Amino acid sequence: MMKVEKTEEIGEREARLFYEFCVASINAEVAAYLESCVRCGLCAEACLFYMGENISGKIDPTLTPAYKADLLREIYKENFTLWGRIKKTLGMGVKIDEKELKEQVKLAFYTCTMCDRCTKVCPMGIDTPRLVGIVRGALTSVGMAPKDLVDATNTALEKGSPLGVDVTTFLQRIEFISEEWEVEIPVDQKAEWLYIPSSIELMKFPSSVAAAAKVFHHAGINWTVSTVAHEATNFGLFLQDREVSKELLRRVLRGAKELEVKTIIAPECGHAYQSMRFVAPNLFPSEWDLKVLNIVEFIYLMLEEGRLHIKKKVVDRITLHDSCQIGRRGGVLKEPRYILKLLAENFVDSVDMPEKNICCGGGGGVVVVRDADYHRQKAFLTKAELFDKTGVKNVACYCANCMLALNKSAQEFNRDYKFISIVELVADALEGGES
Amino acid sequence: MTDILLYDLIRGHLLKLSVYAFFIGIAYRFFRVLFLGLPPDYAPPKGKPILKAIEKVLLKPSQAWRFFLEVFAHRGIQYVGGFLFHLGFLGLTFFVPQHAFLWGDILGFEPPYLPQVVADILAYSALGSLFALTVHRIFNPVLRLLTGKDEYLANFLIGLVLFSGLLATRWAGGAYYLWMLNVHMLSACVLILYIPFSRLSHFVYYFMSVFFYGRNVGKRGVSF
Repeated sequence: MMKVEKTEEIGEREARLFYEFCVASINAEVAAYLESCVRCGLCAEACLFYMGENISGKIDPTLTPAYKADLLREIYKENFTLWGRIKKTLGMGVKIDEKELKEQVKLAFYTCTMCDRCTKVCPMGIDTPRLVGIVRGALTSVGMAPKDLVDATNTALEKGSPLGVDVTTFLQRIEFISEEWEVEIPVDQKAEWLYIPSSIELMKFPSSVAAAAKVFHHAGINWTVSTVAHEATNFGLFLQDREVSKELLRRVLRGAKELEVKTIIAPECGHAYQSMRFVAPNLFPSEWDLKVLNIVEFIYLMLEEGRLHIKKKVVDRITLHDSCQIGRRGGVLKEPRYILKLLAENFVDSVDMPEKNICCGGGGGVVVVRDADYHRQKAFLTKAELFDKTGVKNVACYCANCMLALNKSAQEFNRDYKFISIVELVADALEGGES
Repeated sequence: MTDILLYDLIRGHLLKLSVYAFFIGIAYRFFRVLFLGLPPDYAPPKGKPILKAIEKVLLKPSQAWRFFLEVFAHRGIQYVGGFLFHLGFLGLTFFVPQHAFLWGDILGFEPPYLPQVVADILAYSALGSLFALTVHRIFNPVLRLLTGKDEYLANFLIGLVLFSGLLATRWAGGAYYLWMLNVHMLSACVLILYIPFSRLSHFVYYFMSVFFYGRNVGKRGVSF
């Protein structure tokens, strides 16, 4: 059984492996990003972690996204540039010790959700999440990924889900949801569409799974869930571990193939969509011929095709929290806004351009890591400021992980926002739905 | 007599050497990165990656201004100073009347140049902006963390080129003119030589970095 290792012993071997991983990850795109940074630091002003500290009246320059790639940049230089090689030959090269590696854990795992907002403000278009991803992968490869993330990942590898939802639990939850919300959920049927929920939804937001089922029935599609592909989340992305990502996606692929599925409907989960839509085709280039739609994309498509009809407004005033991996990094931005305008009397967007929305603070696995709680809470202040500007308490979300993080942070700060799944709102608004 | 000998040396061999070294160095840096190659991407794009890449190469720096309202309060100096400095430095390099003969030598014809009064305004604004940006770099905690010797050396060299050029054009009278011109040309030669070895070569990587960024934007189907 594949397993992600966690080590407490950090020595020369770990430093060497970290270094080698970084060197092996350099390609033209990565090198262009590393070379083009002009040290303007504008990215800091787009980073929710840096901004959160600022709101508290503190400036922590180490939270600047450009700084998070500095060790990788130095490693790149001494392997790929003339001057860097000379410095290395003269013994003036990069020295990596335990303290440095621990600092990298803080920079890559605790204070970056890989939300991509910094890329948008950068005049050079540097994709810092991609660079942070390399650092994360290197740390994982030497056993230095945060324990909470490693444990959850190993649970996913062993039982099929980071929350420990195995096939038996999955079937129990599906039965519970079917009975509680009186909705039929087909299991392991040959179908055109495969809906894969996330275990966060199954265990913490089961109503959103029921809502999805209602939406599918209304749309009249031939759909199913699978006991093989029963988990949409992919913690391999958080750890940036290619083999773990591949193993978890292999289950999705196998489940989909067994049921002769053509299209996967990814749930309200950011990295699930990212992994199936953008990563899987590269991990299974000759096998992955599946179309992947996020459930919000699916609803938009069905509305366009006239297969779904929103009959009533179900909320008075509402704003929107975008999932970074579905929205800014996934291209699903106009769809939730279109749907919310149909669902709400008054939809108030919190940003003038959808790509500028701010992360929940718990993305990229940060919500799982207890040692990152301080940074997540600070980051939430940035998010809360954005909500407060709209003056709206109802917040629509299309990612269960975001809802989890936002709920957690809001409770910690005694904020009375109400986070609502878009799919649930849609299910309520459909003809015959509950008001 | 020494000043004339020095002028001939700089204007002749040294300028040629620095320009050749500049082009070789820049080409080396560009192709070294390009030849690192890219892994294939089999994920079907949601938009038009190549069109977006071209759009971003043309527009990306201006699109960073979309964050103007949020960022200006903290980084007004960088927004305004950065814009004025680039405008001034590039305008002076290519379109100042005094450089027309130089470009004539290189290109074989004299390109159009700006009126002297515009060139003067550009010079003052570029120099002022560079000074403000440098002071900002020293005092802003984020910039202080990110800044190394490279940035200060680059700023010093550019400042020297701008200042000596301005002195030679406007303020150096009589016998001092040629000395000031020599300082200006010598510092320009050093700057040209220094560019491939420093982060000043960012203008080359701009095209690559922003192209890749635009391609990703196109793949994901977002607007910027």
